[in-house]
Amino acid sequence: MDNLALKELLYKMADDQLILGHRNSEWTGMGPILEEDIAFSSMAQDKVGQSQQLYILLNQLGEAEPDTVAFMRNAEQFHNCQLVELPNGEYDFSLIRHFLFDHAEWLRFEALSNSSYEPLAQLARKYKGEIKYHLIHANTWIKQLGNANEETLARLKQSLHELAPYALGIFEPSPYETQLISEGIFIGEEALKARWIESVNAILAQTALGAFNWSASNAILGGRQGKHSKHLQPLLDEMSEVFKMDPTADW
Amino acid sequence: MQSLDPRVNRLPIPESWGELRAKTPLDQLETYEVFHQAKPDKAFEHAGIVHAPNDDMAFLFGKEQYSRRGNTCSGIWTVATHKVMVTPYTEGDTSLYDLFEGEQQHAAQTEAYEIFHLKKRGKQHVHAGTVQASSYDDALAVAQATLNDGKMVYNAWVIKSSDFFKSNAEDVDMWNTLYEKKYREAIDYRAQDKINQFKEEQNLQNHG
Repeated sequence: MDNLALKELLYKMADDQLILGHRNSEWTGMGPILEEDIAFSSMAQDKVGQSQQLYILLNQLGEAEPDTVAFMRNAEQFHNCQLVELPNGEYDFSLIRHFLFDHAEWLRFEALSNSSYEPLAQLARKYKGEIKYHLIHANTWIKQLGNANEETLARLKQSLHELAPYALGIFEPSPYETQLISEGIFIGEEALKARWIESVNAILAQTALGAFNWSASNAILGGRQGKHSKHLQPLLDEMSEVFKMDPTADW
Repeated sequence: MQSLDPRVNRLPIPESWGELRAKTPLDQLETYEVFHQAKPDKAFEHAGIVHAPNDDMAFLFGKEQYSRRGNTCSGIWTVATHKVMVTPYTEGDTSLYDLFEGEQQHAAQTEAYEIFHLKKRGKQHVHAGTVQASSYDDALAVAQATLNDGKMVYNAWVIKSSDFFKSNAEDVDMWNTLYEKKYREAIDYRAQDKINQFKEEQNLQNHG
């Protein structure tokens, strides 16, 4: 099997989780209430942990060590979508991003649990439960705030509007779509997007926000090919600052 | 007069009597009790309290607050604090059930109540069982007859089953990877070993 297609898939998944995990961890100590601070920080750790498992798979396919891959690349070598690298903004913004991303992540893992590439299928089955809680968390918050008051509604609406084009960028097609689909590795980004629209709209419809018209938004693409916003490189510099002081150190 | 200085505004003496009014509650969310089950064959145990606006959010917070550490978890229950009926406390050699004199009602209409026992002061309340009863007092009377093993029970909580928010059996996979999260435990950071190793290396360099 040609590993390029598989590696591309693994890299973009791992990079999404690492970068979003790091972003969400920036809320630690600043969450709206203590309980949420702890929950959001825990989920951020989970995401970084999931990325590590995917980097380990990549390592088994001949790529560098997980730490090297995570900490020693520059922005243009990252394959994450731009959605995950945007600064946190206010809590409504981070929550909407969490909601939009985690629906896609959940559906991706669900699809991959039937992947013909068995190591990935096993990993997907193992981490699905963890992501299930992330999804319940996102849905509960969106339903809570989406039915609360004028201010929460206005904020969610604004964030959803801002993030919609970035969220569609999650599904930027890979150069290997046909191969991934025909070999049964993955259902492909287009099919995933269709499931995702149905899934996020089912929740939004239960709020005063109502279902979103996704066809009216233009996807912001490029992240999967290393084209990023100005926000990614400073994040990487900060994330790898300690590691780069002594890359051989044993923690 | 409106002033930010509390000394100016602190004694709003009314010109006339006015009327009685309710005391203003604190501006905070209500509390929920969280119960944790470590393994499917273990009893649920009180883990602590979270603030939350409703049952759904209480579960959300309780799950991460009280099951983000520990090797295993197979379930979380939450219930609003004001729905927990608490018996008086006993101490020494007196068990709660030695003092309780309620009678079982044997009513036609019953519902399920969860009984939690405090068997040691300073420990957590542990789930003793579920009883069918027609009221809180009736539930305690049934518990006295069926869940009392003669050992000390210093306090009991009686809670309607229907007041709980319980995790589903099929959602137990949420905790599948908990054992991997050793990085949340202090024991995972064996700093002393590394400090000792560092000191040894320093000694070798200095005296070697």
